[in-house]
Amino acid sequence: MVLVVLLLNVLNKNLKRIINEKQGVGSTPSFYQSKIKPVISKWNPIIATLSIGTIVILLVGAWFFNFAKNEVGVQKGYAPEQPIAYSHAFHAGKLQIECQYCHSTASYAKSASIPSANTCMNCHKGVQAREKYDGEVSPEIQKIYNAVGYDPDQAKYIDNYDQKPIKWVRIHNLPDLAYFNHSQHVKVGNLECQLCHGPIQEMEKVYQYSNLQMGWCINCHRQRGIDAENNDYYEEIHKKMKIEGKTYYTVAQNGGLECSKCHY
Amino acid sequence: MSLLSNKMGMKQQYWKGIEELENSAEFQKDKQNEFFEGLPLEQAIDEGQSLNTNRRDFLKIFGFSLGAVTLAACNKAPIKYAVPYVEKPEQITPSSALYYASAVLVNNQVIPAIVKTREGRPIKFEPNKNTQLVSGNLLAHAHSSLLSLYDINRIENPLERISNKLVSTSWEKVDAKIIKGLNEAANTGKKIVVLTNTDNSTLHAKALEVLKQKYANVEHVVFDAISYEGILEANEKSFGKRVIPNYKFSKAEVIASFNCDFLGTWLESNKYAEDYAKHKTPDRKGHMNQHFQFESNLSMTGSNADYRLPIKSSREGLHLIKLHNEIAKLAGWKQLPIKDELEVAGGMIKNSASALWKNKGKSLVVSGSNDVSNQILVNAINNMLGNYGKTIDLTNHSNFTKYDSNKFHQLVDEINGEKVGALIVQNANPTYANIKGYDFTKLLAKVNLKVAINTHLDETNTNFDFVCPDNHYLESWNVYEPMNKSYVFLQPTISRVFNTRQAYETLLSWSGEDVSEKNGFTKSYLDLKKYWIKSDFNQAIERGFLENEAKSIPMSFSVNYEKEAQKIANRVKINDNGLELNLYQKVGPRDGCDAPTPWLHETPDPVSKICWDNYVTISKMLAEEKSISNGDVLKVSSGKKSVKLPAYVQPGQTNGTIGIALGYGRNLTTKTQNDLNNLGENLYPFVGVSNNSENYTILNVQIEKTGKTQKLAQTQTHHSIEARDIVREASIGEYKKDPKVRNEHKHNLVSLWRDHDYSEGHHWAMAIDLNKCNGCHACVVSCSIENNVPIVGKDEIIRRREMTWLRIDRYYSFASGEEYLTEEKKIDKTSKTNKTQSHYENVRVAYQPMLCQHCDNAPCETVCPVLATTHSSEGLNQMTYNRCVGTKYCANNCPYKVRRFNWFKYYDNDKFDFYFNNDLGKMVINPDVTVRSRGVMEKCSFCVQRIQETKLTAKRESRKLKSNEVQTACAQTCPTGAIVFGDLNDKNSEISKLYKDERSYHALEELDVKPSIMYMTKIRNVEENKKDQHHG
Repeated sequence: MVLVVLLLNVLNKNLKRIINEKQGVGSTPSFYQSKIKPVISKWNPIIATLSIGTIVILLVGAWFFNFAKNEVGVQKGYAPEQPIAYSHAFHAGKLQIECQYCHSTASYAKSASIPSANTCMNCHKGVQAREKYDGEVSPEIQKIYNAVGYDPDQAKYIDNYDQKPIKWVRIHNLPDLAYFNHSQHVKVGNLECQLCHGPIQEMEKVYQYSNLQMGWCINCHRQRGIDAENNDYYEEIHKKMKIEGKTYYTVAQNGGLECSKCHY
Repeated sequence: MSLLSNKMGMKQQYWKGIEELENSAEFQKDKQNEFFEGLPLEQAIDEGQSLNTNRRDFLKIFGFSLGAVTLAACNKAPIKYAVPYVEKPEQITPSSALYYASAVLVNNQVIPAIVKTREGRPIKFEPNKNTQLVSGNLLAHAHSSLLSLYDINRIENPLERISNKLVSTSWEKVDAKIIKGLNEAANTGKKIVVLTNTDNSTLHAKALEVLKQKYANVEHVVFDAISYEGILEANEKSFGKRVIPNYKFSKAEVIASFNCDFLGTWLESNKYAEDYAKHKTPDRKGHMNQHFQFESNLSMTGSNADYRLPIKSSREGLHLIKLHNEIAKLAGWKQLPIKDELEVAGGMIKNSASALWKNKGKSLVVSGSNDVSNQILVNAINNMLGNYGKTIDLTNHSNFTKYDSNKFHQLVDEINGEKVGALIVQNANPTYANIKGYDFTKLLAKVNLKVAINTHLDETNTNFDFVCPDNHYLESWNVYEPMNKSYVFLQPTISRVFNTRQAYETLLSWSGEDVSEKNGFTKSYLDLKKYWIKSDFNQAIERGFLENEAKSIPMSFSVNYEKEAQKIANRVKINDNGLELNLYQKVGPRDGCDAPTPWLHETPDPVSKICWDNYVTISKMLAEEKSISNGDVLKVSSGKKSVKLPAYVQPGQTNGTIGIALGYGRNLTTKTQNDLNNLGENLYPFVGVSNNSENYTILNVQIEKTGKTQKLAQTQTHHSIEARDIVREASIGEYKKDPKVRNEHKHNLVSLWRDHDYSEGHHWAMAIDLNKCNGCHACVVSCSIENNVPIVGKDEIIRRREMTWLRIDRYYSFASGEEYLTEEKKIDKTSKTNKTQSHYENVRVAYQPMLCQHCDNAPCETVCPVLATTHSSEGLNQMTYNRCVGTKYCANNCPYKVRRFNWFKYYDNDKFDFYFNNDLGKMVINPDVTVRSRGVMEKCSFCVQRIQETKLTAKRESRKLKSNEVQTACAQTCPTGAIVFGDLNDKNSEISKLYKDERSYHALEELDVKPSIMYMTKIRNVEENKKDQHHG
């Protein structure tokens, strides 16, 4: 846009100069007659249409490109309704429950995993929040009981119950062509969950904090260093760093920008 | 063709097929075009579509596209769910693989294997390499067998015949009716016969025992499609032991094999392949094993032999007599007084005799014949050579087959005489493998109750009253005894997919036992645990096998083999010039009795490189005589039986013989509509019976051209090597003189590229030993299943659009020593011996696995306009599918022709109705590898998913990678260890050692593309003909 304005401006100035030269010193016509009309009258209608058309198409194209790049498939801020109104602000924030108590596989597997309902039952067998609901079990907690088949009044599991898994809505969706492994980042990279997932301990309803675009991944890989000191796998690199007197060795230097680290 | 010169002036000419050798016009035209077929534009014109786009059309399409894109952009992303377990099983971690030691049951063989599962789904078989006796090597058919678990053609419910149709019903109803029927049969005094194929499992034996206690007159009959009775019978007569011996190819320095495809399809070939390869590579002193092959079809084994003599199978006996007499001469034993043997007088027999005798006790003679007399002679020769107890072990014998044809034919007679009241058929399929031409529809009408236990409907059980679905073996518990006192465990790796029941429980329930689950444990599991008293059950299950090798007990050889030799001499008519047909098995489908899985057929035959069909292999001489060319449909007839199959001119085929593979022509009703239906012709009815056992050589067959032609799906000539020196071989003599032979010449290279620096981290590389590679294609199937390579089917292969990332190139060259050939020719007195034609009988074969070479200076990387293929700091040539726009420049510029283009979307596409086209079949997809879409290029990634995973495990455990810890799918499965993968930066790794070997060379090193794959020169244990060395 700026470019187009500049271009027009330059064109305008040049034309003005030409007009002034031609007209020499004379009576001063009106602004339209002296400045604009001569320009327009010199324009070839076909060229004019074409150039304006091109400019319009370029502008629309640029907008589309930008839209496609930043909006299509990017779900930043996506905060769907979940089947149970589970509050991370309460559990992770107020109660300070460790993230990996529930998302237990984050440190050793590809997926962090949504906890199975029996993990909830570890606490909610006892915690029923009856005080808030006039002695009744909290309707949200009751949903867990419905899934696993637990009778809170009898305080026991129902025999031969047809268990119903909880259908959580997936918030963070990477395309299938990208391979992401939680353990690589949580265990090997020693990253805080909040780095990618944002202030999860303050979220009543979880939303997608990062845009999860490739540029976002790459940026981090360019900036962050690997933990070469505390991991024997990186022994060679650590030795080399010591010799060269470096304290920082980025993921990118270790090949973290290469295609088939994530795409295969 | 390639002309390979060395300083001695010897020339070796390689060719991939007769078309190339003759350089036919069609071949020349074909090889110009890498992409054989472009877009079907002509077809579009024919259909009346104009190729010119006018302005209005352009604007219409433009406007539509713009609108469509805008609308698509407005669409919200679909909601995806993440559904966790209600109660997570302890061992399962979502997104992590879990491995079980179990077994693969394929073509009557039990193979201990490691099963990789993801989220409770088996997705890959890996060989169990801890075994010593029972081999855990998985060949092509074993890998492919995984797909039978996820086959939508499996029987889902118990079936009952109601108004001549099989209808789904419940187990209770079926059981009640069958028990009633069995009781009726028992009460009328008729027999209850259980017909199975060889099954050496504990539970099977127990079930029969219980059934026999419950009903009177229960009999068990074994039926196997392929008979090895000749060996069983011969051993019974020779040693009083009706067994298949344990052949120890690892201890054999000299091997003489007669029509025996022991590397490909004969008995426990997965084990023999490994053992054979142990001495196939020369050691520092230039010592290696020597292999003589005498055969009529060019088999995979024959193609690996050092010396190969084309013979007629019908004359095999005479060759054996001759061999016996030659050895007897050296040993000072009595000669067999047979005159006819002189007719086969052959230098090669003499040479093999002296080589065998020099290595007595370290040699092995085997025969693929099913003739008792031949096998007794083989025993006599091995006995004379002192091989029993050394290379042949009768104590730790194999339980591969227990088929007794007499009992089976007796059963047929009894059915005919209405003495059988109930017939329970488990897995056996005599209607398909119909050796004597019995009319089973008529016969079975005489049995009141016909019950089948099987996973699939087949030719036999579709006509039955009840069909009881068996669990797939990956859903079952069992323990097998594939070798005497050595056991292999089968444990389920998935819960039952359909409403099936393990055969053991089915049989028990008919004996009136309660087979319901107890506390979630199946009856099979509980009983297996109860009966297993030999060791700790849980430990045994964890290992997957228990082996006991007893000390070999010497057996006394006592049989009048002179009489057998006389029998042979009387039988063979030396002047019989009729055409003979040799039936053989292919490494994919084998006997063809298992439910067909697509990889069996998409995998090309190692020798002919033909997929998806069976065909008539004919000799070049016969082809010229009758002017038959490839693809001409021939009518092959023997007596009243005839089949129509396309011809294929096979170099190495003995003149006067033709070959056709068994295992085709299945008649199945399936839910899928693909090439697996109606494949080829069934040749089982041709199998003759002679000398009391099945005979796979049929004399006096007639062939006749039908005038029709059929295209063969051959991956053979899809690429041309343009006379480049890509495969290298030398004789043992040359190797001893200079271990660097053929690799001594180094090119002076000027590089256009900057070198890569791999000093840090890893540098992945591969070495492939051409000496060890026997062409079995196990790696091809293993790779394809690991990497979600789609099946493209017959038509697409004809269009040269096969997708396998790894192919095994097969090169022919002419054997230089011709003396053997001419001597064999002497007996063909009437045939018009012509030097060039007879040349084609005597070919040598070299196999070369060809895959992405991961070049440092990769030509493909240079030309990609969108940087979809780039180089990694670990030496990998990376392929990024989501960047690829499908220009195919990379494939064009690849000197090795290993890149594959996705011409179609091969999943969810009814045109490719294989396992990628249904939800059940898709369960086998490896979740760590992208399923490629249409329009992108793909190729070998060096199993980067495995590299990444293993590296990550090491990082998590804060340790360095162990040497040889990362294994690609091909290297892991190679039974002979021909493929080795590893890190060159690790000085202790096997690959680092192999890279220093004198035999190592890079294919096309003159291009300076610096591949990451080393090939190792093939060394043949042959003496080069002096005459040849002075040529050229």
